[in-house]
Amino acid sequence: MKNKVLIANRGEIALRIMAACEELGLDYVCVYTKGDEGSLHVKLAKEKYRISDYRDMNDLLCVADYAKCTAIHPGYGFLSENYRFARRVVKRERPLIFIGPSWEAIRDLGNKLTMKRIALEAGVPVIPGTIEPIYNEVEAEIEAEKLLDELRSHGVENTSLLVKAVAGGGGMGIEEVKDLVELRPVFRRVRAYAKRLFGDEGLIIEAKIPVFQHLEVQVLGTKDGEYVHFGTRNCTIQSPFKQKRIEVAPGFDYEGKFAVYNFDPRKVEAEIIEHSLKLAKHVNYDNVGTFEWLVTPEGKYYLMEVNTRIQVENEISAQISFVHGKRINLIKEQIRTALGDKLGYSQKDVEFKGYALEFRLVAEDVKRGFQPVSGTITRFDWVDHPWLTMRTHVPRNERYEIPTQFDPNLALAIIYAEDFTQLIDRCETFLSEVVIEGETSQGAPLPNNIAYLREKLKFIYQFIY
Amino acid sequence: MKVDFKEIDRLLQKLRANPYKIFPVETPHTGYIKEFKVKEGDSVTGPTGKWLEKPGTPLFILERERNPKIIRAHTTGIVQNLREDLKGRFVQAFETILEIRHPLSQEEVISEVLLSALHVIYAEETARFILVPEISHRIEKHGLKRAEVRGGEDILIMTFMKREHFIKIKEEGRFIIYQVYFKPFELVPKGSPLIALCPSEDLPVLERIVARIREEWPS
Repeated sequence: MKNKVLIANRGEIALRIMAACEELGLDYVCVYTKGDEGSLHVKLAKEKYRISDYRDMNDLLCVADYAKCTAIHPGYGFLSENYRFARRVVKRERPLIFIGPSWEAIRDLGNKLTMKRIALEAGVPVIPGTIEPIYNEVEAEIEAEKLLDELRSHGVENTSLLVKAVAGGGGMGIEEVKDLVELRPVFRRVRAYAKRLFGDEGLIIEAKIPVFQHLEVQVLGTKDGEYVHFGTRNCTIQSPFKQKRIEVAPGFDYEGKFAVYNFDPRKVEAEIIEHSLKLAKHVNYDNVGTFEWLVTPEGKYYLMEVNTRIQVENEISAQISFVHGKRINLIKEQIRTALGDKLGYSQKDVEFKGYALEFRLVAEDVKRGFQPVSGTITRFDWVDHPWLTMRTHVPRNERYEIPTQFDPNLALAIIYAEDFTQLIDRCETFLSEVVIEGETSQGAPLPNNIAYLREKLKFIYQFIY
Repeated sequence: MKVDFKEIDRLLQKLRANPYKIFPVETPHTGYIKEFKVKEGDSVTGPTGKWLEKPGTPLFILERERNPKIIRAHTTGIVQNLREDLKGRFVQAFETILEIRHPLSQEEVISEVLLSALHVIYAEETARFILVPEISHRIEKHGLKRAEVRGGEDILIMTFMKREHFIKIKEEGRFIIYQVYFKPFELVPKGSPLIALCPSEDLPVLERIVARIREEWPS
């Protein structure tokens, strides 16, 4: 029977999954919620259904059955890392294929604490900190004290800690504690926030790595136990709220144009890839996944978390990865292998060429605390170039009302170049050509983050303090 | 408080001319319409009882993933525009299945009229809202129309584009929290009223308006 995929997501990722399905010759259906009717994925989908929420499992499964789908692609965010959903998809009376890792792999690696325990078992270095959720402040104080003593005994100076919501993500529910006396009020504040936003008030305490680069390893595994990686990405440039804004692949500046390393970057890269693959194999990881690392100026590295799904920035890895001379498409690889295809190549067939950088264009007011803004886009335009790939759900040069229920990402601009100088030139060209105009719901000109991206482009590959 | 009595008269006249409100009843989610429990012209009632513990009249059964759900009336009135053609069929979320023509009660008329007399905070964005916990405790302790707030205090938290924003009372002075119009975390459309405040010293004026409506409008 021909497979039919339910795309359980919105925005640019829904569009990319639609395109991948078309290229693979698969049928698909889209879903959308009230308020999202104007998005491009809704306009372009031939078969689509209105649901109550992208997180409503029953609605998704009901539509999947009605539309006779055989598989569900969760995209990123929403239910993509919910192992209960992944399990339900495959365990029901009318089972479907979950286009993602097995529910067991999501359970083991998708939760920060379980991942840390398993990583430690497998000998993979993780950020020092607690590995059980903490619910009360006395316990938090005891654990924080122990952690600070441990860090000082290892000669770490200027120690500070992070209080994080176990269920948080995307920079939400994290606060820094510089002194033990600050711990209780911060703990109470983050706990209340976590309860309100995530319905789970469990917190962890981790050492804050003061100076670092944020590296990612892109892995792909299959049900047949085949494993490949597609190199590294550097995602150090983020907003003050820890949301990624510029990503570049490969993850290290081998040409030394921007960064000066006190360690051998090729050796560190090889080691974090090896650790990522070791952990993936340890849990029989069987789809695309991203292993996120913090690398210090001394060349120490710590696994921070694993994203058990396709990542927003997957395409920069895809653009520099070639198999038998052909550029890879990670979403197609994800779907194809989930539907039972063999990989058909091994690591030695993967060749890395060039550089790719992604800008996240966001409706946010960088002058006012990076506040997300809602409103209407009246003009969104750019100059087409063969080296530029735009991924967006915003119709080009059509009025578009930004929905307020989701984050304010407008587009991803992916720029490819053969060398580093060319990459920076092309990035600057793109930023000078892109136009985003509109007005906020209060009638003011719609702000965006282009000036921030232009400024931060100078800092890629640098350690942040 | 500057109460525009002419505006209140105009509103009352408008409500008298058409003392009804039409409430569309939509599917809360996808599913199959298994059975209708009402027909056109039937009278239905919303939840009743001191704590609204008695559910409203069953309207139809919506089944999804083998779970039948009885969709009930949230308000009193007469059923109209019933979509009988949907029986046994798959429906998307937020599909209108019927309408309830609801005669406005005295309390609803008061609430409608007071919107023009009170200091109302409206939703600046389509977003989810909750009361600041401290304000919520105050209402629990003293009750609506008694709990007080001060100008400059944070009163609401708006969750918008994955970030929280605190909403302050911009005006100076002391206010009574008169009415709360939303349920915690429900999606409130832009421009909807969220909370109505009354300057403490103006409560007697307001009570006179309420007394007048009670006198003029049948209960």
